[in-house]
Amino acid sequence: MSVLPYLLAVFVFLVGLYGIVSSRDLIHLTVCVSVCQSSTYILLLAIGYREHATAPVYGDIPASRKVVDPVVQSLALTDIVVAVAVSALLLAFALRAFEHEGSLDPREMAELKG
Amino acid sequence: MTPLLPLLTAIPLLAAALLALAGKWLKDPVPDLAGFAAVAAPLVLAAIVLARTGGHVLTYWFGGWRPRAGDFPVGIGWAVDSLGAAFALFVLALLLSALLYSWRYLQEERYLYVVLMLAFGGAMVAFVQTGDIFNLFVFFELMSVAAFALTAYQVEEASPLQGSFNFAVANTIGAFLVVFGIALLYGRTGSLNLAEIGQRLTFDGKHDGLVVASFVFITCGFLVKAAIVPFHFWLADAHAVAPAPVCVLFSGVMVELGIYAVARIFWVVYSGALGAFDTPIRDVLLVVGVSTAVLGALMCGLQRHLKRMLAYSTIAHAGCFLIGVALLTPDGLAGAALYVLSHGLAKGALFLVGGILLVTRGGIDELLLFGLGRRLRLPAVAWFVAALALASPPFLGTFTAHALIEDSAGAEGYWWVPLVLAFATIGSAAAIIRAGLRVFFGVGDRDDPLLSEEPTESPPAEEKPRLALMYAVTLLLAFGGLAVGAWTGLAATAMEAGHTFTDQLSYIHVVLDHRPPAPAPPGEWVTTTSSVVWSVVTLVGAVALGFASTIRARLPDAATRVLAAGFAPLRAVHSGHIGDYVAWLVLGTGAIGAALAVAIR
Repeated sequence: MSVLPYLLAVFVFLVGLYGIVSSRDLIHLTVCVSVCQSSTYILLLAIGYREHATAPVYGDIPASRKVVDPVVQSLALTDIVVAVAVSALLLAFALRAFEHEGSLDPREMAELKG
Repeated sequence: MTPLLPLLTAIPLLAAALLALAGKWLKDPVPDLAGFAAVAAPLVLAAIVLARTGGHVLTYWFGGWRPRAGDFPVGIGWAVDSLGAAFALFVLALLLSALLYSWRYLQEERYLYVVLMLAFGGAMVAFVQTGDIFNLFVFFELMSVAAFALTAYQVEEASPLQGSFNFAVANTIGAFLVVFGIALLYGRTGSLNLAEIGQRLTFDGKHDGLVVASFVFITCGFLVKAAIVPFHFWLADAHAVAPAPVCVLFSGVMVELGIYAVARIFWVVYSGALGAFDTPIRDVLLVVGVSTAVLGALMCGLQRHLKRMLAYSTIAHAGCFLIGVALLTPDGLAGAALYVLSHGLAKGALFLVGGILLVTRGGIDELLLFGLGRRLRLPAVAWFVAALALASPPFLGTFTAHALIEDSAGAEGYWWVPLVLAFATIGSAAAIIRAGLRVFFGVGDRDDPLLSEEPTESPPAEEKPRLALMYAVTLLLAFGGLAVGAWTGLAATAMEAGHTFTDQLSYIHVVLDHRPPAPAPPGEWVTTTSSVVWSVVTLVGAVALGFASTIRARLPDAATRVLAAGFAPLRAVHSGHIGDYVAWLVLGTGAIGAALAVAIR
């Protein structure tokens, strides 16, 4: 199997991390967290991929047909649900921070330090 | 009676869901009373489970998917040993204390607070009971999301948002690392059951890049939760802004669950496959544990915001827990478990005193509160009893925990471990004593050039806090924390539980083959001279340094300048900026990964 999807997962993860580290805007930062999370979907699906296999839905295919691994797909689905909850919460924080501070820059929000 | 296991989680989670739906229409005391009931019931069940685990490992398979002996486990299984059951009981006990304390403490949308606390607690209980690695991740995320929301509970101010944002982003990235590790393990073994993964990895006997990478990802991911250097930055920000009763759970159990997960996964999954590399793994974990203990103790002495000071003290102790686990011995693990118990109770009491100060004196700043606590006699008693428990005095508080870790380290040839434990203990207990002396007795100076800038935190808008109840809960926790060290029978039981926990083969046989676990050798408590000597050293050191630090302003100017310059880089690193924290997280994962990759070949 190709190594490409694994490299892509690492690349997407690092791009997301770079975005978080350099971000000057909380909404941009939240999107970067989602980008990071996408890399886990790619990794999970890559691990369950089989050559010349079809979707694991047995309704209209013979039981002998090769299918990709359904477990990783359900893991990815669970992961997406988690991501939605986290993104919603982060966006809510960002919104409230803007109401309070009039700014979305994490540097201006840093009251706690040292 | 294995059907009990899911009830411990199901009751609080179902109650949370129902309360979220119906809470709006319930009159004032009903949501609180429902919350107490939804924690008290599983608390009783957890005590029954703990009584039944003595030497056994209880299992439960969801939906009746119990595999036949030796078959591949298709379903999701839970497996609870004594240590896991004790942890579940401890989580529920602290949760009940926090809920009792916060009755009337927070006003806004009270039922939602109870809902979040129940979801948080239920997820933590499930986390210690599950034997399935993806299940572990799901409950990890559930407890994290509940914790993020609880941190931001008082959203009128900007700083809670900064604290919870940093907390949420850092822990979410930690969770991604965990998913990476889980995906790699699944790719190698085709299973998500901890016992099955452990069996397959041991059978393969390979310790190639994939195994090491998955180990590094999972360990670093959970160490973010455990606030281990350099992943610890979020903790001080989150604790500084979270309501005091929530901090009790954060410091008392949530951080410790990160260490629990590392220990559980190491012993069940990796101890067979990486068995030949105990020494490098131990060394790497000890290095990060020691850095955490030392850094936490140093930062603790520089804080004037009481909750932030206590948060750094938690970091110092988290380093000590990791040192206990990192020895990779049953006794070290038993010591860490006792440490978690005593620390959780004592630290909980300290946070609750912080909450009382906030409610009755309207502040949380050590210098602004100078002498204002003179008439708060019971909180003062709780504060100093808890400080004493954390100072590891002979046969009280964290003494048995320290003794087990130190003796186990000595047996492994790590003679310097007692020094590090003493440094962390003295540093953090001295800061607590210093703050207590200033606030409750007005001892020393009202001025301290080494402390950080003045924080802002306004008190929760309360109408009539139930002070008597708050005092009672606080005192109970403080004396509980002190009593742990006096009970050497508990230490012997913990040693047995440590043996069961670290026996990989026995765990696998129980879960996959339904065989009874191998009996653990009976634990026997032995008081060593060195442990008593060290505990006297920490006690005297903590009290002396505590008194001395109240008059730091009288140091000569030159000395103050040198000290301040020495601490300046440390302060600068804790910048409060999430981008920096994530950069440290990446760096730390890279460093730990590189060290293990070089050592395990």
